[in-house]
Amino acid sequence: MPTSSSSSSSFSSAASSSGNRQADVFSRLASSDPEVKLKALREVKNQIIGNRTKKLSFLKLGAVPAIASALSDSECNSILVQSAAALGSFACGFEAGVQAVLDAGVFPLLLRLLTSSDEKVVDAGARSLRMIFQSNQAPKYDFLQEKNMKFLFSLLNSENENVSGLGASIIAHACGTTVQQQVLCDAGVLEKLVILLDGSLSQREACLESLATVLKNNPEAVSRFVGLEAGRYLSSVTELTKDRYPRTRLLSCLCLVVIYNTSPSYFLNMGTKSSLVTTLLELLNDHGQSGDDAALGLSSLIAEKEDLQKLAYEANAIKNIVDILKTGSELHPKRLQGLFLSLAELCSKLEDCRCSFLSLEMLDLLVNALRHKNADVRTAACICFRNAARSVKNLSAGRFTNDHVMLPLVQLLHDPSSSVEVAVLGALSNIVLDFSSPKSTFIEYGGIKQLIELSKSMDPNARCSALRALRNLMFLADNKRKELFYSEVKAQGFVSLISDPEPTVQEQALALLRNLVDGCINSIEFVFDEDGLILDTVGKQLRKSPQAHMAIQGMYVLTNVASGTELHKEAVMQQLFPQPQAESNNFMLKFLQSHESQLRSATVWTIINLISPSSPGAHDRHVKLRDEGIIPQLKNMVNDACLDVKIRIRTVLSQSMSFGDN
Amino acid sequence: MATSKKVITRDEWEKKLNAVKLRKEDMNTLVMNFLVTEGFVEAADKFQRESGTKQIDLATITDRMAVKKAVQNGNVEDAIEKVNDLNPEILDTNPELFFHLQQQRLIELIRQGKTEEALEFAQEELAPRGEENQAFLQELEKTVALLVFEDASNCPVKDLLDISHRLKTASEVNAAILTSQSHEKDPKLPSLLKMLIWAQNQLDEKAVYPHINDLSTGQLETLSE
Repeated sequence: MPTSSSSSSSFSSAASSSGNRQADVFSRLASSDPEVKLKALREVKNQIIGNRTKKLSFLKLGAVPAIASALSDSECNSILVQSAAALGSFACGFEAGVQAVLDAGVFPLLLRLLTSSDEKVVDAGARSLRMIFQSNQAPKYDFLQEKNMKFLFSLLNSENENVSGLGASIIAHACGTTVQQQVLCDAGVLEKLVILLDGSLSQREACLESLATVLKNNPEAVSRFVGLEAGRYLSSVTELTKDRYPRTRLLSCLCLVVIYNTSPSYFLNMGTKSSLVTTLLELLNDHGQSGDDAALGLSSLIAEKEDLQKLAYEANAIKNIVDILKTGSELHPKRLQGLFLSLAELCSKLEDCRCSFLSLEMLDLLVNALRHKNADVRTAACICFRNAARSVKNLSAGRFTNDHVMLPLVQLLHDPSSSVEVAVLGALSNIVLDFSSPKSTFIEYGGIKQLIELSKSMDPNARCSALRALRNLMFLADNKRKELFYSEVKAQGFVSLISDPEPTVQEQALALLRNLVDGCINSIEFVFDEDGLILDTVGKQLRKSPQAHMAIQGMYVLTNVASGTELHKEAVMQQLFPQPQAESNNFMLKFLQSHESQLRSATVWTIINLISPSSPGAHDRHVKLRDEGIIPQLKNMVNDACLDVKIRIRTVLSQSMSFGDN
Repeated sequence: MATSKKVITRDEWEKKLNAVKLRKEDMNTLVMNFLVTEGFVEAADKFQRESGTKQIDLATITDRMAVKKAVQNGNVEDAIEKVNDLNPEILDTNPELFFHLQQQRLIELIRQGKTEEALEFAQEELAPRGEENQAFLQELEKTVALLVFEDASNCPVKDLLDISHRLKTASEVNAAILTSQSHEKDPKLPSLLKMLIWAQNQLDEKAVYPHINDLSTGQLETLSE
């Protein structure tokens, strides 16, 4: 029993007397006298409803198993009703309660109540089961079993609104896979659910929730739904977005978002799109759970859709969201995540949005979010940073590269959550592209070392993102920065990166290398370190028939090396045509015939640099290229479909002609 | 720059009014809706028998009225039990309402001069509400302030002790129950009357015509200009 030693006597007696009272009512639960038991059950129920603190303390006393036995042992309807209601309350929005209730074996007991002749017993059972199904811990309902499907439909067909609502709730929370969606649709669940749309408030809401689950990412199910009575129900759901009850408006919006994301063709009407955006924006102001869900719903709606982002921007979304974030009251993590993701989506493509957002003194709030205890919030804040930093204007104004912003971002490189890691790497990738200051706060904070660490992470996403950030960091970098970086990696390190098992990681590593050797001639020397280890590895990878994206970066590495001295050009030739060659493994020819225009272009560039007339060995290299069939191949490509390639080929051929060959 | 307004005589106006067709059933529904929402059970029953207008199960109105009455009389604990019997989900899913009911309980204890009990209640029941939900902290502080003053009826937050606060809480519970039963929480009649007044205000800018000034009689009064 908790008693505080430092508070006044009346307070400590309050705590101990409440504890006493609870223990007293708890002992009466076990009474053999049904009257006493009933009274105790009612008392517990009335104490815990709405009162999370009491739920916890009764839970600790072991009230749940005690009430469960009352439920299983009794035949008296009043006792059944009260115990079911009490158990339902334990499970209402309280995860520890749901767990305790399930552990006590209450689930089958509640199911039994559904067949009672007493309406109140049925109501109590259905309500409590619905509470359980709101939680992720609810037992997985196997729709694929015939008897389960039958039972589900018997629920949906019931006249009792709590029971039919339970049926819809089960679907809303248990239906996850496409197979389940298919099985439900084939059994006619859509036809049953839409009837609930015309029912009571709770039936409508349960219906909307379950519809969203059944239709999500399933174009067949969506077309089936829209086809019902020639689109009548789609109109009904659209109408409900203007309903008086905020939760109904929210759930119908979320349903429409699901349909839009699955099959956008049903939303050709601009008006519907626009009102969907504005309704969700309004719902953001709701203080309860509806507001939380609205934020996530909005981000899901506008994701990747520039036209909707514009609509939202014009409807003043940025200012509205920022105002909510600035209210200072503690917002639910789900809401914060949704709001930051929405801002991130708004800033993803539209420069106006980014400028507007950054002009609203948001950076402090965003920086605070980086330190939020919830990983999803931190991730969302990072994504927001990443997209906002796409604004070159604001980036070069140094908005992101001051200590205030940089330090917390760099600290997140050590974050335990992998999603945060990847997200912050994305943000840093963009931020390090700031050319306005020669000094880099990021590097001062030991950023390079950390990125190199992460490039060795177990998670391929993290490796890829870290390399992308490094690649950007080396873009047009000065020698000092390049030396600093290289000294941490060395030749062997690079070889490991380029030989990574994941092709996407290899690609980023080569792109990084490309940037490293770009620029002044000294930079090219990196690939010759340790007897040309890095250059050899690049050549080896190119000879292995790599994917196009990787090959592009590899060829650009060779292009950059070939822009150097005579020695450099010869070294490239060595890689292109190593001796002895067992068979004609001429990857250059293969690349020139690739479908990817960028690969063709990169290969031609290498050739341009190899035979640029100003260098002494150009003529001999030209002969070799001709003999290997490269020049003839280029002659066949004079009308290449890609303009860039065509122009480069003309350059080569004119160089070729200057050697006096046809 | 006075643009001349159109003048409509009383005769013309009454002619226009008489031309509007209203169904008796619609009017009856309006009345019934009012009686049900406001909870006038006997009147609703009698009205139903006299006019044949359909309405919902009277028992639910009775239950709801019992709750409302309990709060209006200051028997908040009783009201809470009744609400939970009616529908245990209401208070479990309405933290604001639950807080206000607990708040009202505290106010009643203070009103009755039961200071010790009030203190205990504040610590055991209200403080956790503030912990569970920061949004309630401000109101919580206001309420607890009542405990600080010797003479609560003369302190800065004395409004909380006013009977009107009971009515406010009662109305909140009533609305929540109505919502859970999928009924509208406000009767339509007052809204229609508000619309009437708004429409008259709008029309005033364009015309001179007989007004209804006294809503209770509905008498047309000509404006003398």
